[in-house]
Amino acid sequence: MNNRTFVYGLWCLGVAGLFIMSTVYAWSPFAQGSRARTHGGFYGPTHK
Amino acid sequence: MSLHLPCPNCGADVVFRSPALPNRVCDYCRSMLVRSDAGVAKVGEVAALPFDVSPVQIGMRGRADDNGFEVIGRVRWAWTDGAWNEWLLLFDDGANAWLGEAMGQFMLLREQPIGKVRTRALREIANGKDARPGTEFQLDQEKMVVADAREVVCVAAEGELPFTARSGWRLYSVDLRGRHGQCATLQRDDQEVTFYKGRYVTLAELAPRGLRAIEGWTLPSYAA
Amino acid sequence: MQPDTAIEPQPAPAARALTCPSCGGSVALRAAGYTVHVACQYCSSILDVTDPQVKLVTAYNQHLAELEIPLGTRGVLRGVEWEAIGYLQRSEDGDYGWEEYLLFNPYHGYRWLVKVRGGWSMGEALTVTPDWLSYDQLVVNGENYTHFFADGEARVDYVLGEFYWRVAVGERVKTADWVRSGVMLSREENASEVSWTRNAWLAPAEMRKAFAIRPEAIWPPLPHQPSPWGAWLRTGAKIGALAFAFLLVFALFFGGTSWTAAGSFPVAADGREQSVTLGPIVLPHRYQSVHLRADVPQLENGWVDLDYSLVERKTQQVYEAYGAAERYSGTDFDGPWSEGSRKAEVSIASVPVGTYDLVVEYKANRWSGASGYAETAGWMDPAAAPVVQVEVRRGAVYGSNLLIALLLLAAPLGLALIWHLAFETARKSESDFAPSGEDDDE
Repeated sequence: MNNRTFVYGLWCLGVAGLFIMSTVYAWSPFAQGSRARTHGGFYGPTHK
Repeated sequence: MSLHLPCPNCGADVVFRSPALPNRVCDYCRSMLVRSDAGVAKVGEVAALPFDVSPVQIGMRGRADDNGFEVIGRVRWAWTDGAWNEWLLLFDDGANAWLGEAMGQFMLLREQPIGKVRTRALREIANGKDARPGTEFQLDQEKMVVADAREVVCVAAEGELPFTARSGWRLYSVDLRGRHGQCATLQRDDQEVTFYKGRYVTLAELAPRGLRAIEGWTLPSYAA
Repeated sequence: MQPDTAIEPQPAPAARALTCPSCGGSVALRAAGYTVHVACQYCSSILDVTDPQVKLVTAYNQHLAELEIPLGTRGVLRGVEWEAIGYLQRSEDGDYGWEEYLLFNPYHGYRWLVKVRGGWSMGEALTVTPDWLSYDQLVVNGENYTHFFADGEARVDYVLGEFYWRVAVGERVKTADWVRSGVMLSREENASEVSWTRNAWLAPAEMRKAFAIRPEAIWPPLPHQPSPWGAWLRTGAKIGALAFAFLLVFALFFGGTSWTAAGSFPVAADGREQSVTLGPIVLPHRYQSVHLRADVPQLENGWVDLDYSLVERKTQQVYEAYGAAERYSGTDFDGPWSEGSRKAEVSIASVPVGTYDLVVEYKANRWSGASGYAETAGWMDPAAAPVVQVEVRRGAVYGSNLLIALLLLAAPLGLALIWHLAFETARKSESDFAPSGEDDDE
């Protein structure tokens, strides 16, 4: 196995690890909703 | 089968292994001996072989065409641009063939009766015409090209031989090459025409045993 | 010499010494019996050694070239030990010079070590003649080759060491070359003979190991130089595909639930802000994503703002998201048009285990910007009883995450592919048979 294959294998392991972590935490960078910083109060529209 | 006789010149034991090979060079005094019904006679002396680093030697064994062989003789030929070895192989079934060794490449050649060759251009060469390098013609359904045509001279010989290889013997020799590793040689002198046909081989595919040891070089893995 | 070689137990000596008749130097003959000409290593005069009496062919007394591989050096290439015994400098009439070393091993015969623009190849004379496959393709021993150089002429400029034929400075042969990755097939022709040589590319690491040769930069690539990325691309693609397949299988095991209705609530005609609490929604996993889909079937030329809050009953922890369903339509010069969707989907990531209430605050709006005729088809008309329906789904794997993973896995392969194509383009542009499209660029 050459260096290149080894480095790319590591890269693939890293990507797979991040993917598994994101799945375990059900996380996505594109999710619209998340934990509110304050709870209660007014959740008004934030657009327009 | 083998016939042991004393050398008429020096008295050393000489072996004739095949009736088809009535000539041999005495290993000790280099007399050229010829065997006949009357016994063994000395017909001349053979010059010493010049030093070379050929990996083949008398006594080397190998296999070709599903048949074991032993190297039992050699003739060294020269021409204006170099020299090469022709090693005589005696097969286990009694047949013999030549292993040509030139420029680090090997050719396995068997004698064919020239009478059976139908190619007209080749018959003309056998009858005395000169061959021109580059000429192409058909031989047994194969396209062959004349690679070389030149006068060659016998330098020296050793071991058992089918003919009397006197040093200084001159022949006209024509080499033919096919497209797929086939090769052939036609040799003629004033008396006789001989024709050999065969192919390129590698030393490795002959599975040689008893290669000549050469100082400083390790024997190849295929000979282990 | 004694002729009893057959019973000689000692190994035969490997070299024979002779004296140069021109300078008197002692010249070692390393391929005795094969060698025809020797260029003296001291004065480079050419000697004929076919006879025991060494003959001077051409007397020289010239400056000796400093060789990268001094003659007599041995090295192991591809499992066989070779000794450099001859050296040639050749060129196309003085241009594009290259070097050739003649290698010898008594058990393996001769090979060529050819150095062109810093790249090395090992050449072996063929005993077979290639067959034509098409006008620019040859096949020999089952290997296909593409025509690369045509109508070349190689001239011998300098010789040193020993050769199995008569060498002469100034000697010319016609050349042509065909290539496949890693191998160049060279044809040389003189007045009486055509010979073919198969030249195998030697990686710089092989030459460093065999003859301690320092690697040199080669650009543009040599005709048969294998792309440094070509072979790896296959391996890399396999590894990448395997990793992605693993992620796909993994994702399948983390499937969520399907959509279930959470509730349906009316839209007020006056467009005031409304609120409804749905639930409880029980989330069983340590973490999950919650997907919310609103459907407003009667929506036409208006929009609904939706503020979702998932409130954990015990901890009062809030997870919130904002969505909007919008739908506009009308008719203009091009005919009827519509845009937006009556459905709106949002997701909330990383919601922990618990029992939640879903609070939906929503506000319906009419589009006042509609010019001319705008059909609202009962939107916010109490008679039509417009409603908002909300559905909930639980999940874990985001498709977008899988897509990002795929992009990240493929990115190094993409880079390698770009480098590979750049290398191949540069390599092929050197050919006499370069495709016309590439000729235009030059």
